[in-house]
Amino acid sequence: MEVIESTINTSSKDYKENFSHYQKLAKDLKDKISIVSKGGGEESVKLHKSRKKMLARERIDALLDPDTPFIEFNTLAGYDMYDNKAPAAGIVTGIGIIHGREVVVVANDATVTGGTYYPITVKKHLRAQEIAMENNLPCLYLVDSGGAFLPMQDEVFPDREHFGRIFYNQAKMSSMQIPQIAVVMGSCTAGGAYVPAMSDETVIVKGNGTIFLGGPPLVKAATGEEVTAEQLGGADVHCRESGVTDHYALDDPDAIRITRNIVENLNRPEKTPLDIKKPEDPAYDIHEIYGIISKDPRKPFEVREIIARIVDGSRFHEFKALYGTTLVCGFGRIMGYPVGVIANNGVLFSESALKGTHFIELCCQRKIPLVFLQNITGFMVGRKYEAGGIAKDGAKMVTAVTCAQVPKFTVIIGGSFGAGNYGMCGRAYGPRQLWMWPNARISVMGGQQAATVLLTVKRDQLWRKGIEMTKKEEQELTAPILKKYEIEGNPYYSTARIWDDGVIDPVDTRLVLGLGISASLNALIPDWKPGVFRM
Amino acid sequence: MFINYEHNSHVYNVTVERRENQFFIMYDNNEYTVDASEVKPGQLSIQLGDRVIKCVISEGEDSKFVFIDGDIFKVKRIELTGRKQTEKKEGDLNSPISGTVVQVKIKEGSKVKKDDVILVIEAMKMEYLIRAPYAGKVTKIHFKEKDQIEIGQLSAEMERKEDY
Repeated sequence: MEVIESTINTSSKDYKENFSHYQKLAKDLKDKISIVSKGGGEESVKLHKSRKKMLARERIDALLDPDTPFIEFNTLAGYDMYDNKAPAAGIVTGIGIIHGREVVVVANDATVTGGTYYPITVKKHLRAQEIAMENNLPCLYLVDSGGAFLPMQDEVFPDREHFGRIFYNQAKMSSMQIPQIAVVMGSCTAGGAYVPAMSDETVIVKGNGTIFLGGPPLVKAATGEEVTAEQLGGADVHCRESGVTDHYALDDPDAIRITRNIVENLNRPEKTPLDIKKPEDPAYDIHEIYGIISKDPRKPFEVREIIARIVDGSRFHEFKALYGTTLVCGFGRIMGYPVGVIANNGVLFSESALKGTHFIELCCQRKIPLVFLQNITGFMVGRKYEAGGIAKDGAKMVTAVTCAQVPKFTVIIGGSFGAGNYGMCGRAYGPRQLWMWPNARISVMGGQQAATVLLTVKRDQLWRKGIEMTKKEEQELTAPILKKYEIEGNPYYSTARIWDDGVIDPVDTRLVLGLGISASLNALIPDWKPGVFRM
Repeated sequence: MFINYEHNSHVYNVTVERRENQFFIMYDNNEYTVDASEVKPGQLSIQLGDRVIKCVISEGEDSKFVFIDGDIFKVKRIELTGRKQTEKKEGDLNSPISGTVVQVKIKEGSKVKKDDVILVIEAMKMEYLIRAPYAGKVTKIHFKEKDQIEIGQLSAEMERKEDY
């Protein structure tokens, strides 16, 4: 395969300006992550440690194979929500490697409101389980939680995708032969008691781990019986009397040792074979992405320059290069794994959508994972394009994306607007993972467009009544809309709400995608079975 | 199909969809349905509503002459460069997209260097820049600010002068 020829001038003024602008974005991301990684604040960390408990991230570190990466999901979930009282949503989730095989780890952070579940915590836990289910990965729950966050019980307890779904997923996954392992390292109260109880194999830490449906205060209120937490649901009770737990650990490190032994004996099936080559760095410096992406989101950039910095050796076999040129499709490798890349290079026309559909079919036939680099302001509008059937051509692409049974990965590298988001495998289209770059923007349409549409509607309404809007009134109407779209289109607003799996620095994209593809091979890739394409 | 033609130095943008002998013509936001058949080479019979028009077309060197009811119209088809031809090495001055001209950066008659921005077009939330494909003099700018421009339409004309 040929190397993509880069035409970037790294000494140009534009490049330098873009670069220093992006450096700020990347630093801002790093700062945000380092703040939430500290958990619930110094005092609660101190209290946690005084109980001889390891922090959630320390537990994960110790659990995984040394010097192996951990892809953390939704690190910034809950960001700027609940007065910032739930850093990282009080739970750490991600894919890591134990005894050479990928597993999903879900670890409560008891320094954040006692590890209780805010609505976003539930969503994050469920998303981690969904990732495990889709990729056929064993689940390890490092439990240290007081259960649901009671003041918000209406948003945590009753609905389908609420707390109960956690245990539903455990039973489902167990039935799919996906191992469910719980390590009780703190409290497992009320509903939380079901996490270990629903698991295939469980460990409990003496002294700190407790499991009970009703805690000592509730027992006293209900029956008058006075017991300590340890007497009620400690390691001795559950390992010797109730049988709720299987392994007795002396402390956190001991529990981690036992857990690694459990994983060693899971006898997982071989991974799906793929034509894997030795990984190779891109021919160009990945950091140059900073200078390629325009500071002004309204200025388009050449996506081949981005592809050149993501695929192995910058080698890319482009498909239909001269047709539907606003969508770039082609084959390459990421960290040695073969991938089909679909990347926006302008607005989607009928031809681009047809080309995308064709390319998705190729990847599905050949069982090659798909990587979508999303930077899309939408499908082209206008009478000519409607008459040309852009709706049905767009629908073909959406059908292909939906039915594509190969692992799909989406990275939002720029804008994500309107139906373009659908065709390019947005959240609703079930990519195995969806990441955003810090420059990304996401909304149903641009703020300016939404403001114009609403303004036109309002103006027409008033006009029929014989009233004309003044410039001031027009501005009063549009200003809040522009502001709303600006706030809600921000990647941190998105990631706080788990509309994605996280915001990543562009330089980490290759690694994150490589690990994602590797994890996805734990599941079988079924045969291609598309729906009806409207012709 | 999208046709641009010039008559009396005015450019008409017309969309034509053909279904057998029926033509759906879109011009200036009006839609016309026309039945047309070629009676013999160069002679057309056109039905527009309840009017039947006969016309004769003769080919000139670079334009066509259309005779209708004793009037003669000289029309010239302006060739469009569609987006599928964008693989050409040297850029051109055609609009890459249908949109609104938001800025004209250069005055007619000015000298420009290669890659200087001549026009800024806004469409689908993005700004598209029409840059000088080579050094030279801008002899004609076909659009002013707030004008609509169609995909493939020539935005400006230039005279190549490499020593600029």
